[in-house]
Amino acid sequence: MITADGLVKRFGRKREIAAVDGVSFRAANGAITGLLGPNGAGKTTLQRMLSTVVTPDAGSAAIDGLDVVRDRYRVRNGIGVLSDARGLYARLTARENVRYYGRLHGLSGAALEARIDVLFAGLGLSELADRRTQGFSQGERMKVAIARAIVHDPATLLLDEPTNGLDIMSIRGLRDLLRELRAAGKCILFSTHVMQEVSALCDTIVILGHGRVIASGTAAEILAQSRRATLEDAFVALLGSGEGLAA
Amino acid sequence: MHCWGPAKDWLRNHAMDRIFTVTLKELVDTLRDRRTMMVTLLTSIAAGPLFLTLILNMAANQAERGRELKLPVMGAAYAPALVAFLERQQIDVQPAPEDYEAKIRNGDLDVTLVIDAGFEADVAAGKAATVRLVYDRSRDRARASIDAAEIALRTYNRQWGTQRLVLRGIAPQVALPLEIEGVDLATPQQSGALILFLVAYYGLFASLMGGMALALDATAGERERGSLEPLLATPLVPLEIVIGKWLAIAAFDALVVCLTLAGFYLTLNFAPLPAVGVPFLFGATELLRFLLILAPLIALLPAALLYVGTRGRTLKEAQANVSVLLFVVSMLPVIQLFLQKKEPAWLLWAPISAQYTLLSRALRGDAIPALDWLQSAAVPLALTAITLFAVARLLGRETTLASR
Repeated sequence: MITADGLVKRFGRKREIAAVDGVSFRAANGAITGLLGPNGAGKTTLQRMLSTVVTPDAGSAAIDGLDVVRDRYRVRNGIGVLSDARGLYARLTARENVRYYGRLHGLSGAALEARIDVLFAGLGLSELADRRTQGFSQGERMKVAIARAIVHDPATLLLDEPTNGLDIMSIRGLRDLLRELRAAGKCILFSTHVMQEVSALCDTIVILGHGRVIASGTAAEILAQSRRATLEDAFVALLGSGEGLAA
Repeated sequence: MHCWGPAKDWLRNHAMDRIFTVTLKELVDTLRDRRTMMVTLLTSIAAGPLFLTLILNMAANQAERGRELKLPVMGAAYAPALVAFLERQQIDVQPAPEDYEAKIRNGDLDVTLVIDAGFEADVAAGKAATVRLVYDRSRDRARASIDAAEIALRTYNRQWGTQRLVLRGIAPQVALPLEIEGVDLATPQQSGALILFLVAYYGLFASLMGGMALALDATAGERERGSLEPLLATPLVPLEIVIGKWLAIAAFDALVVCLTLAGFYLTLNFAPLPAVGVPFLFGATELLRFLLILAPLIALLPAALLYVGTRGRTLKEAQANVSVLLFVVSMLPVIQLFLQKKEPAWLLWAPISAQYTLLSRALRGDAIPALDWLQSAAVPLALTAITLFAVARLLGRETTLASR
């Protein structure tokens, strides 16, 4: 369960650029919440505040009741983060990359190896498991990064554009995985700028623009709110014309 | 500030496991980087033997030149007695080539003796006869030959003068009131100052170079490849990450220093080096002493490299900054060498200079009191702790991420 209340983050020498400007929303357990917005809407900054690596200038947020500033180290135990930066160690194998993060989360031994096997099987990585990630394709790297993010079976997943660079088969595989995780009761926050992702997967949608929440609710609620027939039209109407392209 | 304060309960809980996980990962990652590994290890192993063989051969060559002097003489016929004397001194007298001046200038000849055509006439007239020793003192290689030729001529001069005084019934002491006796206090270990300097210098250098590649890869490299942000989102406090990385760098650094010193040890003790009369001691005891003296630097320099690497926004910027560190570490001993004064007592407080001083002492075979070692270690160890905290603070800052 994620609760955000009036989150603000400013950048720039005089703090004049508000990347996130008073964002409040809820993301429930056992649900996939889509964070939809054009480039530069503040999705990544919002994700970074929730993943505790960036401190908000104002407002607060909590994950499962733990404050992301005061209890940041305890919050980190319960979240799986696929951030905008998702580099792997090229000289380590896929398994070693994931094992490293498992150990950093306090897992070890046979339990950890079994967990990695299950994750790799689910992501279709089993054959690549013991190869160095040096020559991996973008999609293969993404899968390793996802496995790394959820190796410790976190209750909350913060995924920043997880479908970037994936082919259609991999995207479908990822959707299946996320649905499984939802069924297991996880709270999944999924940011994207791709409309189809949201309509295919998300239970609740939060539309961001210029660092603010422009609309939120289920797909049907957003359509009703904007009086448009498709989600894409609704998105454009809510953001103002041409925003998506200009940004 | 959040880099460790609120996480105290966490630190107690398996902190060492997490730190060692980071250390292990960094070591594995580095050892797999085969090209960097080969270059680092090969240069450290080969440096000692190569340098020593080169320098010792040069020294042997020079000693040889002094001992078996070949002296080209111009106008040998004008002073047969002088030439006969030189030959009795085991000097190989040869006719000088016409272009001897040019040959000395370009280094083909070390020295040439030119006897004036009026030599015999001057002697007969009771005047001082002229001989000219032609050489180029700017050439280090020629110095031994020049000195040997000069000494031979002065000896001849003194003998001849003494004979004349004796013939006139005057005691030689009248003309030579001063009897100069040289007493060289250098023990065999204390000579060969250049080699001594090089061995100490290389030990210092290895403790900086050893950890360089790994430190940069673990800091600026980590950020550049986008693996820093996920790492910072794990439950590790920045200090755990920093200590883990530091341990890996220091361990690898220690390995490189050991290999470098082992190279020197093996060369000095087992290689067929030319005997040049500079057998300073570098046995197993000296090897261990070296390691002990360098230990504070093996702690400090990896920490400093971590700091510099974390400050750099990119790998390139970090490399540029590291070269400043490299410059400081490599210049301090050189400055000390050229000052040539007895070291002031406070120098043992200064990192790098203190270690260089102690290394030279160890090589000269002097004792190193434990108190001196503690003094030399105090500042580097304190600086190590401060630097590690500073790196942790840098990592805890969110601008560290933003500048990616």
